[in-house]
Amino acid sequence: MIELDELKQKWAEYDAKLDLNIQLTRQLLTAKHMNRAQWALRRMALFLMVEGAITLAVIMVLGEFTGNHIETWRFFVPAAFLNLFQIALLVVLGQQIRIAMQIDYSEPIAVIQKQLTLLRLLSLRSTQWTFLLAPLLWTPLLIVGLKGLLHLDAYQVLGTSVLLCNLAVGLAIIPVALWLAKRFSGSMSRSPIMQRFVRGLAGYNLNEATRFLETLTEFENSRV
Amino acid sequence: MTTTGLQERFQTLMEEHKKILYKVCHSYCRVPDARDDLAQEISVQLWRAFPKFDGRVRFSTWMYRIALNVAISFYRRESTKDRFVILSDQLLLDAVDPAASQPEEVRLLYDFIADLDPLNKALVLLYLDGNDYREIAAVLGISEANVATKISRLKTKMKQEFRRSEQ
Repeated sequence: MIELDELKQKWAEYDAKLDLNIQLTRQLLTAKHMNRAQWALRRMALFLMVEGAITLAVIMVLGEFTGNHIETWRFFVPAAFLNLFQIALLVVLGQQIRIAMQIDYSEPIAVIQKQLTLLRLLSLRSTQWTFLLAPLLWTPLLIVGLKGLLHLDAYQVLGTSVLLCNLAVGLAIIPVALWLAKRFSGSMSRSPIMQRFVRGLAGYNLNEATRFLETLTEFENSRV
Repeated sequence: MTTTGLQERFQTLMEEHKKILYKVCHSYCRVPDARDDLAQEISVQLWRAFPKFDGRVRFSTWMYRIALNVAISFYRRESTKDRFVILSDQLLLDAVDPAASQPEEVRLLYDFIADLDPLNKALVLLYLDGNDYREIAAVLGISEANVATKISRLKTKMKQEFRRSEQ
């Protein structure tokens, strides 16, 4: 019967030979190479900052529109709805940046993996909600866009019934999109990006991340 | 310290501890190409954190934490497009003696490690590398009693698996 401690001895014997058996390419460990590779990390931070700046600009423009139409309910309500959505996005983005900035890989594994999983959960949830709510945003966006950019009243140009119909279709699309995502998430193996997106929409990636968080908690706390 | 001085110190410490890099990569990645990507990604994170390394913990503890944290994230990541690899055709780590010439027992251990979840992989690797429970607890961020419990469970699991494979 093989025991872990017996194998540990063999592992140590092999370990002693490893120094001679492996070579490290020191050229790749120069500041020049390392800093170039770090660009990918900086690019991600830059992308989040640009996203934050754009969202903030949209909030300001929508805020002005909302303020200007505070007494006209038919414009105020859709603009306020869009603004609230953008504010929620900015809050989530801010949380993501805050968690990402706190991550220090030299901290213990249980701590860092928990932070990374929370970050992933936050990102997955915000992506899922954004895509699920997107069909509902179309109608208020049309009302605000037509009024703000072309000074047209969508209620008069398109008619209230058309707008209500759009809203109802948007509502109906949400459960259909969820069903389609769950139904076809397994058959998208040709496109990993699409598969990741559909799995995210269906909530599978979210379940996976939640399960890993539970495993982590169990790993941290379990005792005989 | 100047960039050159920092770089030289980093290279020296990496050379001294290259076995950690090798073993972490071999435990978390069985595909050779991806293994080198992982080695490079770990090195980038180590270099990034190196100016803040203040010697409060041993270099090996610090290196294990970063290497294992990166390896676990790498292992769990679905996409390969966001890997922070160094743009080079050269391999960062090269085994003079191919992995196929590993002793049978070491191969058995790598097989056993491959079947574990990413957190227990880290635990076994730290144990096999001769770290004491206090050191393992410091790297993983759990209590020493918890480490002892988990090691004991893993020993039992290993016995059961070998018994099953012998039958």
